[in-house]
Amino acid sequence: MEELTPRQDRIHKKNSKLLPKLAGVLLLIAVAIVLFKTLGNASLFFYPVDEAVEKRVELQDRRFRVIGVPQPGIVETVLGGVQVIVFTLCEGDVFADVVHEGDPAELFNPGVPVVLQGVWIENDPPDLEKLLNPAKDGWHIKTDSMVVKHDNDYRSDRAELESCDSG
Amino acid sequence: MTGNVQMADLKNTSSKGSKILGTSSLVGFAVLLVLAFFLTDPDIRFHPETGEEFGQFDAVRLLYLHVPLISVTYLAFIICAIASAGYLFRRTLWWDSLAHSSAEVGTLTCALVLVTGSIWGRPVWNTWWEWGDVRIMSTLILFLLFLGYLALRRAFESPQRAARPAAVVALIAVLDIPLINRSVEWWGNRTLHQKSTLSEFKIEDLTLFTLMFGILISLLVMTWLILHRFRIAWLEHVEFEQGVQAAIEERRQIDSKENQR
Repeated sequence: MEELTPRQDRIHKKNSKLLPKLAGVLLLIAVAIVLFKTLGNASLFFYPVDEAVEKRVELQDRRFRVIGVPQPGIVETVLGGVQVIVFTLCEGDVFADVVHEGDPAELFNPGVPVVLQGVWIENDPPDLEKLLNPAKDGWHIKTDSMVVKHDNDYRSDRAELESCDSG
Repeated sequence: MTGNVQMADLKNTSSKGSKILGTSSLVGFAVLLVLAFFLTDPDIRFHPETGEEFGQFDAVRLLYLHVPLISVTYLAFIICAIASAGYLFRRTLWWDSLAHSSAEVGTLTCALVLVTGSIWGRPVWNTWWEWGDVRIMSTLILFLLFLGYLALRRAFESPQRAARPAAVVALIAVLDIPLINRSVEWWGNRTLHQKSTLSEFKIEDLTLFTLMFGILISLLVMTWLILHRFRIAWLEHVEFEQGVQAAIEERRQIDSKENQR
């Protein structure tokens, strides 16, 4: 029987396809890392304010993320030589006072939900009396990271702000 | 897959239809840019109590590209999955070329989705990237899976040998799409990404028109790109087959000469 297999340089064949295989292996590793970071990053999980208040004792001394709606009446002040903003975060009818260090997000505004990262501190925040609607419960959340969770409403004249029941 | 190439008369990737499609796509894209960056209003609202301005301001304009891009990314990968299933049943070059072409275009648009989302996220969310955000991560995984698909296709000496494992990978990778799409509902406290605007009818007037126009134009661009990539894949196959035939012919001649001695 006639043998018609084309002759090829085996060494060249091996080398020419090494790069895609290597790329494939690296991509598999990349997917594994991404999955690990996604599933393992419990810090991204954020508590609504009411849940963060309910689990205050459990969360004490632990950094956690909390989502809530900043209330009108944001106070800028200095705490321990550091510029901070003091405001009240809410979810439904539950309120929590916040002291945030560092620059707030560009779109930080009352009524626009934010995700903050920090720890519970057992004392009132500074300038508590200047807040319009404080939680005033002897605690505040000291935060240093802020991202905005923007809503999905693009109707300029009918878009509604998140609101809370006054405490 | 057989060596019989039915489209052997194909000399380049252009045709009258593709030229019309390409021209329409480019003109439409130019109109989209004018609508998105000049004619639509920035997202500015006024706080009912404080009277202060808030909203996304000019950053909202990126959504007229970002949302259409993710729409065509989904579609391109779904076409890839359907074509991959078609290949596994029929084992023809047509299905395999369609799967390969749509995967390449989908991977490109998926990369653009991640880039535009990141650029939008900086002013709106206050972060370029959020590791652990379920919407961002599941989209990144989709991108990496299809990069792996494309690497796999190049990892075999013969394109025919790559077709079957690639088809299986595509069918697995596409399962990530419903996960991405529903992530904002299923894991609302693990993502910064907003819920769907279109399904909740929270968009109207020129904003809605521009977004829908963007999706339409992106579909045209995607079709145009897939069409050309499909024809390139076909020409690559023709070239490969011709190379194999030439090698066989060469070997026949060598064997013939050896037998004559």
